[in-house]
Amino acid sequence: MSEWEAKITTFLCNWCSYGAADLAGVSRFQYPPNFRIIRVPCSARVSPKFILAAFRHGADGVWVSG
Amino acid sequence: MKKKPQENFYGAVMVVGGGIAGIQAALDLADSGFLVHMVEKSPAIGGVMSALDKTFPTNDCSMCILSPKLVEVGRHRNIRLLTLSEVESIEGEPGRFTVTVRERPRYVDTDKCIACGVCADKCPRKVEDAYNQGLGTRKAAYVLYPQAVPLKYAIDADHCIYFEKGKCRACEKFCPAGAIDFNQKEKVHQIDVGSIILAPGFTSFDPSGMDVYGYGRLPNVVTSMQFERILNASGPFEGHLTRPSDHKAPAKIAWLQCVGSRDMHEGANPYCSGVCCMYAIKEALVAREHAGGDLETAIFFMDMRTHGKGFEQTYMRARDEEGVRFIRSRVHSIEPAGPGSDDLSIHYVTENGEIRDEVFDLVVLSTGLEISPEIRELASKLDIDLDRDGFASTSSFQPVATSRPGIFSCGAFAGVKDIPQSVMEASAAYSASAALLSPARNTLTTEKSYPPEKSVADEEPRVGVFVCHCGINIGGVVDVPAVREYAKTLPNVVYAGDNLFTCSQDTQENIRKTIQEHRLNRVVVAACTPRTHEPLFQETIREAGLNPYLFEFANIRDQDSWVHQKEPERATTKAKDLVRMAVAKASLLEPIDRLQLEVNHNALVIGAGVAGMAAALNLADQGFHTFLVERSGVLGGQANNVRTTWNGESVPDFIADLTRRIQAHDRIDLLLEADIQDISGFVGNFTTKVKQPSGEKTLEHGVVIVATGGVPCSPQEYLNGESDRVTVWHELEQLFEKEPERLAACDGVAFIQCVGSREPERPYCSKLCCTASIQQAIALKKARPDLDVTVLYRDIRTFGQREDLYREARERGVLFIRFSVDQKPTVEKVDKDGKKMLRIGVTDPILGRPIHLYVDYLNLATAIVPRPVEDLAKMLKVPLNEDGFFLEAHIKLRPVDFSTDGVFVCGLAHYPKPIEESIAQAQAAAGRAARLLSQETIDVEPIVSVVDQDLCIGCGLCEASCPFGAIRLVEVPGKGYRAENISALCKGCGVCAAACPQKAIDMKHFRDRQIRAAIRAGAERI
Repeated sequence: MSEWEAKITTFLCNWCSYGAADLAGVSRFQYPPNFRIIRVPCSARVSPKFILAAFRHGADGVWVSG
Repeated sequence: MKKKPQENFYGAVMVVGGGIAGIQAALDLADSGFLVHMVEKSPAIGGVMSALDKTFPTNDCSMCILSPKLVEVGRHRNIRLLTLSEVESIEGEPGRFTVTVRERPRYVDTDKCIACGVCADKCPRKVEDAYNQGLGTRKAAYVLYPQAVPLKYAIDADHCIYFEKGKCRACEKFCPAGAIDFNQKEKVHQIDVGSIILAPGFTSFDPSGMDVYGYGRLPNVVTSMQFERILNASGPFEGHLTRPSDHKAPAKIAWLQCVGSRDMHEGANPYCSGVCCMYAIKEALVAREHAGGDLETAIFFMDMRTHGKGFEQTYMRARDEEGVRFIRSRVHSIEPAGPGSDDLSIHYVTENGEIRDEVFDLVVLSTGLEISPEIRELASKLDIDLDRDGFASTSSFQPVATSRPGIFSCGAFAGVKDIPQSVMEASAAYSASAALLSPARNTLTTEKSYPPEKSVADEEPRVGVFVCHCGINIGGVVDVPAVREYAKTLPNVVYAGDNLFTCSQDTQENIRKTIQEHRLNRVVVAACTPRTHEPLFQETIREAGLNPYLFEFANIRDQDSWVHQKEPERATTKAKDLVRMAVAKASLLEPIDRLQLEVNHNALVIGAGVAGMAAALNLADQGFHTFLVERSGVLGGQANNVRTTWNGESVPDFIADLTRRIQAHDRIDLLLEADIQDISGFVGNFTTKVKQPSGEKTLEHGVVIVATGGVPCSPQEYLNGESDRVTVWHELEQLFEKEPERLAACDGVAFIQCVGSREPERPYCSKLCCTASIQQAIALKKARPDLDVTVLYRDIRTFGQREDLYREARERGVLFIRFSVDQKPTVEKVDKDGKKMLRIGVTDPILGRPIHLYVDYLNLATAIVPRPVEDLAKMLKVPLNEDGFFLEAHIKLRPVDFSTDGVFVCGLAHYPKPIEESIAQAQAAAGRAARLLSQETIDVEPIVSVVDQDLCIGCGLCEASCPFGAIRLVEVPGKGYRAENISALCKGCGVCAAACPQKAIDMKHFRDRQIRAAIRAGAERI
């Protein structure tokens, strides 16, 4: 299992968290590369069905931030 | 849109200088109905900013934020670019000038040049590369820098072998496009314009004359501009931290501040250059980043001047978290560390008087800014007055007006300044031009037309992927060629390529060509972030006949290479995943039609201090009806307490003049004692409810300018509030003015700086206070030369030409004593020789022991804090920063805009600033607002929800959940109720789509199936 990498499907609101993720880049904050970010127009766009879909397709975690 | 010119004014403006200030002015003008002639003396625009590596305080990549603007200028149909050109003379008067411009030959036909670089490759002559500050060489056939606009080569006739010896012409022989033309001659153009904006910029001080620093003699002593090039990915060392002598990576670097600044010696400049403290901190932080954290850095300084928004916090982070050493000492000389050594020994005296020697691998001289002899000559030719330091003379009240009417200035030409202030002034200069030329707006411009949109509805997706190296920003971590090759294997991808800078102008051309050649109908760019660069690429594909929404971004820089710098392999895997997700979504993208809104041409300005008044007047002068709403009953705000500007102009006279003009202006509605109850609507169509003692009013307007101001705080410290001998800000001078006998009876007066500023609970510097206290100290010394006047300070921040005041104060005998934040002064009430006095205790840093002063009065320079504006911020849906000031859209390049369209900020509500900066910012905000108000319709984001009324059951969950009132139930005959979207109000959040139990609502561009495709592609393991 040493090869195993967690994959975390990440929904970020375009107006806040997505900008914050960019700011983390601008500030060169280093964090583990396990997140797969999907930009959404608002965290309200994230239907519970999206979260289930992520797990169904193999995600190990889902993070919604907005 | 064509109108007949009125008053025979020319609807064109000349912008002289293609740096960031000139670029901003040109874009604002060209976007609001004026034809722009941009004159640049070098072969390409971009100026100093193009050569910088990063920009403070956010350490944004300079080229990455500048490049979209370069591209926009290069392709704007209402901007005519004249490179290698200089202004010879200006005839005429405001509104009708004729400018003579001399254009030197490029010897390259720009219509034919394809920028392949063969000419430079074949050119046998190497020339010192001035763009790289002499750190490398270029050829005599060259392009200024890789992302240059226009991206066209030029022949440097001063160094070309053909021009020297009459033969060679290798470039001509090998040029595949036949673009070399040695027959080109100098051209002289006569250009008619209504006004002129001078943005010729500055030059970096040349330290060659200061032999104590050994610049030019010791190879590892470099200037700050050279160091920018050393750090820069397109610089001589490709961004690897390298010292010139042996090309080794330095392990220890020193910065020496104030080289050529704050220096009365012949050849140097007396003023403070204002930006060097921040750029040195930035360079130290970026160098540490490049070196991987093992680098030792030390900054030798006199006063740390980090007075701008976010600057002090950067200083604290550098000192406390990043280990940058700050040494308060002026270094007197640099010597080689030993015979034959490339290392450098710095001799300096510590604060407590010890003499030290320390060895560094590299020393950076933080050279100041100055006006070059060429620009002084230009000013004299154009009859523009300069001050004694060579800057354009301007009044604080008309900060962008030169001495010659109709000719405006912006950027460092009228005094040292940083990028945001240059950008502000650029918008202000545009605004002043527009106020002059408003009758001629839209008389010479043409509107952009796009090729007809190709229908892609019946086609299979054909996706093109462009992967960006971003210099080394991405390519230094992520294996870009591997990502490109991987992209080629993805479903629907018919093309994948990589580019050094995908945002550069030549790449836009390449993308358009590739779309044609490969019949692409979807485009994916894997690069920095869509938040800054999506509009650029959308525009590019639109020019190639694709709907702009057939575009998708993969963020592999801000959210990948920059945050996984030490894990290149995993970063590459992530980049591949991100590209796969983008391609999966792109394959399902659909074209979306434009959404246009009518624009209400009225403006609302909130707050009638100096900033609000200046903004309102400018808008009204530009022809827009303006509501000026003020909570109190008086005009002028904080400026009512100020007697003179830093350079001695009368503020009360100015306020009286503004008040008179506002009251007389038939396009300004002044609402005093007015409280804003509610603001609703969106860009172009706002509705505001205002309550006045006389009743409520409803205002309709297209834009909002926030100028709510700031006030000095009054902390319980230093006996403030407990002794009538302790005053704040202007109270003391007002007291002495009212009761002169008090001053006459005085023996001593002291000032304490940074009261409530630069402390953990309020970390920012209030910027104004050093200058204000020193002005008052000088006034006291003038009135009473025998009076003891003492200023207790932490760093004296008399930035720019205010340094003169600091010098004058010392010459007049004002005593300056520094204290540190952990040893703050103490104040007690005492009786001294029968007189009531204050005793101030402070530890003198040079003596290292406590001393006591006895004074009659103590004046505190307390922090400037914003007004409580949380409610207003919520109504306008705009953010505040952690200190309660409004947070602009981008700290460097959008200093007066918010991310929310149609809302702008100026004055103290943005950050503490002196009056001339408030006015420039107000004019800039007015200009940015007028850019919208001058349109009949504006395009808004058409990403809105769509209701499938056949699936809708009329349950009303969507209506209940929509926070914007953008969805409602309507009665459909025979079906009951059905949901309906109101597009203009819809913010595209998608809560309705998530709430709908019937899946009857979907979001354009973020459709269920599009998001699901990205989810699937991201979660898959390949």
